[in-house]
Amino acid sequence: MTRAPRSSGLADVLEILLDRGLVIDAYVRVSLVGIELLTVDLRVVIASVDTYLRFAEAVNRLDLRASDDSRSVPDLFEEGGEELAETKTKGAVEGGMDAIKEKIGLGGRGGDDDDDEERSGSRSRGSGNDR
Amino acid sequence: MSRLYLYGVTRPREIAERLVDQGITLVEADGRAAIVSEVEEGPVEATRRNLLAHADVVEQLHEEAVVLPARFGHVLESREEVFELLALPEIERLLQQHEGRCELALKGSYEESVLAEVGAELQPLRDAYRAEPSVEAGIALGEAVGQELAERRARDESLVLDALGPLVLDAVVTEPAGELGAFDLALLVERDRVEPVEARLEELGARLSPPLHFKLVGPLPPYSFVRLGLPAVA
Repeated sequence: MTRAPRSSGLADVLEILLDRGLVIDAYVRVSLVGIELLTVDLRVVIASVDTYLRFAEAVNRLDLRASDDSRSVPDLFEEGGEELAETKTKGAVEGGMDAIKEKIGLGGRGGDDDDDEERSGSRSRGSGNDR
Repeated sequence: MSRLYLYGVTRPREIAERLVDQGITLVEADGRAAIVSEVEEGPVEATRRNLLAHADVVEQLHEEAVVLPARFGHVLESREEVFELLALPEIERLLQQHEGRCELALKGSYEESVLAEVGAELQPLRDAYRAEPSVEAGIALGEAVGQELAERRARDESLVLDALGPLVLDAVVTEPAGELGAFDLALLVERDRVEPVEARLEELGARLSPPLHFKLVGPLPPYSFVRLGLPAVA
């Protein structure tokens, strides 16, 4: 079991802070930008053809390994499937990261913000009101 | 007039020098305190730095006493709004309810070998795919694997919740992220029950791993258990 006393990275805090916590919008002004898109991007859709093909490939590969059979799986298909999936995942992750760019600073330790700078040229998808 | 970013609500107290240095202050009224810092005009964006800062502040303050963490992005336009917030009966009720409690974030994930396990029942589809690895055969096999995996997820989630039993006061169940995610649980527990929860999970983990692995984060502020039943105001 992996054990951590506190949230230790963006993955830990992202959904919790954007989706949970006290909401008091009935009483105060709330300023949120591009957040709906961002959370949607982070969920991998299971029921996709990509996923099924990857599952099939993995089951076949693991099965071959177990039975010590010949490894005659057509490489072309195998690689094609993985490539497709990788492109898609990468797109989703970057979409999320685009929205996570530095703008104004709040207090607190804030963790590592080293790689915020290099993303500062990008725009968060769908949030047209960046200032 | 300064705008105040809201991290959460707690009980009045001294706060760590480190937080004071970063502009965090408590605005107090009647035994309740809002955790705030001044922000500039404009929206507060969901940047990596801002999100981690928010989590850091509420989690650090939660180590010593109850904190109701605010969702990211709340800005109060004046101190008057802070006092309005603190005067809500729901706030006092939640502070009392969460006294001495905490949230544990428990995620389960599978190793890829789980696919071989769930695929063991699917010999005809596997044979068909191996004989002719077409896209159609791949989809048929993969879809069946996906269904088996969904059943496995549901089973393992129940095993965990059953094993923890009355140690857990409340739970929020979320769809796991990722193809090999098993479950995603937010558990509300008494702070003095964190160790028994860990012990039970260690036991269970020893039985289910591999291919199932747990990640446990906490004790956290009750992020998932602070819904307010407030009237909607346009």
